[in-house]
Amino acid sequence: MLIAMKKATLFALKEDRDAILLALQKDGNIMLISEGDKAQTLEGADKVGDRIAKAKDALKFVDLHGKKDSMFASRLPVSYDSFLHESQEGSDLADQIEALSGKIMSLRNEASTMTSQVDALQPWMDLDIPLEQLAPTDSSVYFAGYLPELEKEAFLEDIKELAVEPIVLREAPEGRAMLLFCLKDDAAQLKHFLKAHEFADVVFPKRTGLASEIATDLTEAARMKNSLADELEAEAKKIAESKAELQLYYDQLTAKEERLANGGVETEKTFYLEGWVRKDRTARVEKAIRSVTEAYQLEFNDPAEGEIPPTELENNSFISPYESVIELYSRPQAGSIDPDFLMAPFHFIFFGMMLSDAGYGLVLTIGLMIALKLVKPQGFGGKLAMVILFGSISTIIWGALFGGWFGLELHPLLFVPMKEPLKMLALCFGLGVLHLVCGMLLKAYMQIRDGDVFGAFCDEFSWLIMFAGFFCMAFMPGPVGKYLAIAGAAIIVLTGGREKKGIISKLLGGLLSLYNISGYMSDLLSYSRIFALGLATGVIAMVINTIAQMLIAAGPVGTVVAVLVLLGGHLFNIIINVLGAFVHSSRLQYIEFFGKFYEAGGKAFVPLAIRTKYMNVTK
Amino acid sequence: MITLGTALAFAGAAVAAGFAGVGSAVGVGIAGQAGAGVVSEDPDKFGNVLVLQALPGTQGIYGLLIAFIIVLNLGVIDGNVKDLTTFQGIALFCAGLPMAIGGLMSGIYQGKVAASGIYLCAKRPEETGKGIILAAMVETYAVLSLLISFIMVNGVKL
Repeated sequence: MLIAMKKATLFALKEDRDAILLALQKDGNIMLISEGDKAQTLEGADKVGDRIAKAKDALKFVDLHGKKDSMFASRLPVSYDSFLHESQEGSDLADQIEALSGKIMSLRNEASTMTSQVDALQPWMDLDIPLEQLAPTDSSVYFAGYLPELEKEAFLEDIKELAVEPIVLREAPEGRAMLLFCLKDDAAQLKHFLKAHEFADVVFPKRTGLASEIATDLTEAARMKNSLADELEAEAKKIAESKAELQLYYDQLTAKEERLANGGVETEKTFYLEGWVRKDRTARVEKAIRSVTEAYQLEFNDPAEGEIPPTELENNSFISPYESVIELYSRPQAGSIDPDFLMAPFHFIFFGMMLSDAGYGLVLTIGLMIALKLVKPQGFGGKLAMVILFGSISTIIWGALFGGWFGLELHPLLFVPMKEPLKMLALCFGLGVLHLVCGMLLKAYMQIRDGDVFGAFCDEFSWLIMFAGFFCMAFMPGPVGKYLAIAGAAIIVLTGGREKKGIISKLLGGLLSLYNISGYMSDLLSYSRIFALGLATGVIAMVINTIAQMLIAAGPVGTVVAVLVLLGGHLFNIIINVLGAFVHSSRLQYIEFFGKFYEAGGKAFVPLAIRTKYMNVTK
Repeated sequence: MITLGTALAFAGAAVAAGFAGVGSAVGVGIAGQAGAGVVSEDPDKFGNVLVLQALPGTQGIYGLLIAFIIVLNLGVIDGNVKDLTTFQGIALFCAGLPMAIGGLMSGIYQGKVAASGIYLCAKRPEETGKGIILAAMVETYAVLSLLISFIMVNGVKL
């Protein structure tokens, strides 16, 4: 069901603003409207943003260095009053960690620079000249660098003509390290010669001493820096233990950021705020404001023409989990329709038929019930888990009907789809027809509600008449079906082009809209996937059982392996097919069902509230 | 002594499992490469990425399914391989083809869509569901191939 919304307008004194926003956030029932640049963020909002970024980095750092949270960890409770009091300890921790991580990072960087310098010095280890003495003199210059190994032979041959004796050192990835001296007058010639042989110059680190001594020094220094960084990391581990404080700080900051995001439009003394409130919760919003001040004016109005309120869905506890299926697609537009009540039973049925193994259904149901007891997921995730839980119950039912128990055939109450595929296909298509007709009826309902009775008759009922005709033709003797089908088709041809101008284009449009029948056919064929997915589950389970059987025949060792194969194989099959069953039963809703009537694009109703990531605020 | 018909039936099972398996392997591979990139930036997205990567894996399963039914009908599992006429063999070979071709191509393309879905999940994690649905659209055709292959295999009476 779609919840009707009221638009709230509030005038109050600026001095009360912080308190009012705080009260509204605690109440959590108004979604503030920020209209373009008219509304402004409150003072300090930027600063909070920076602090959030810092706290986030700190949390990331702590996650990296501390121990991981257990998957089933529940949120720590914190009272509302202490939640309001911003954690100084958390703030200090964030500062501390920022400094610490910066230090560790720069130490590690320095160490790695040093290590790479040592690597670069390796080819020059044998050089018996201290590096600082490698410098041009008044009459001579030097060249130090690497010569590609391929050039070496030719180079050593050719250089004899130049009267230069190269000092050949070790080999490096860049080539053979070499040092050459020559008179200044010959420098240009030698340079040219070196270039011809692809000689690459080297730049030495600015240090004094022999290459081998420098390398030892650098290695030692890098080791020192690394061990210092290790010490700091050990310290970080200790800090990571007070992670909870940091998490509280983070949650406080995000709540504050949301509160500061919208301060409305202000004058010197007053301010003005707009927001959406659920029709049935207006009194609560007013109460929240009255708890702060008497000096206010609050009005609730129905949305004006052209204003699109946010969408909030509310259903009973059997249907509401299926809101998550809608959320995955897109919320309905305000003023259209919430199809959950019709979608839920079909999703339930399709999911069960696609998984169609009572054994798997039992395992899933029990497993999910235990998991839900332990984790208690909230919001979207919780709803999704409930959809799967309902689906597994449906799986037990359909599995029993089709006689599938862990891939074994056992007392089918209905029939075995593998043995009677045509019967199964007929069942799928039958359900498909029902599903599609429901979609068309919803569309017709929406059209009639909006006053377009004629449109509903031409666009929806005409097709229904035609399909009823086809149905009668197939299953009832006599010409009734034929006439019905012709009547339906005639309505479609005559009215399908009613929005076109001119009698000829009207008729052509009508004929063209009859062509839509191919669309309905492909929609219907799409339901065959129910059978195919059911087949996949059943046959893969059979494959697993067959392999296990072969292994058991192989002896006692084989029996042990067979148990592993059975456990692992069926678990894998369950996981992959739950994914498939969920995705495909949702798809049948999105494409085939919603395609008939759905108006997507509603904006979610996200009221100003305390939304935490780590803590559980108790009011 | 295995007849030509039996051999052809084996070939039918082989192409169904083999080509559909290749399609899935390529598809899962493409999606996996994209996924590793995203996880390197944000390890928390591993769960979502894994779901998307698993989607193109179903073609291989469908191919195995068709191959298994052919082999089961041939009697390979219980050890008495039946002698098929040549035409029975050709029929079973043809029955394996839709799954082979459909599985191969749809697996590869589903992998590409899944990879794009993984990028979508990297940029807007709240929209991962839509990425999954988009990838599942491609799977429709693998499902249809599976269905027709199954009906054909079922239609060959041995």
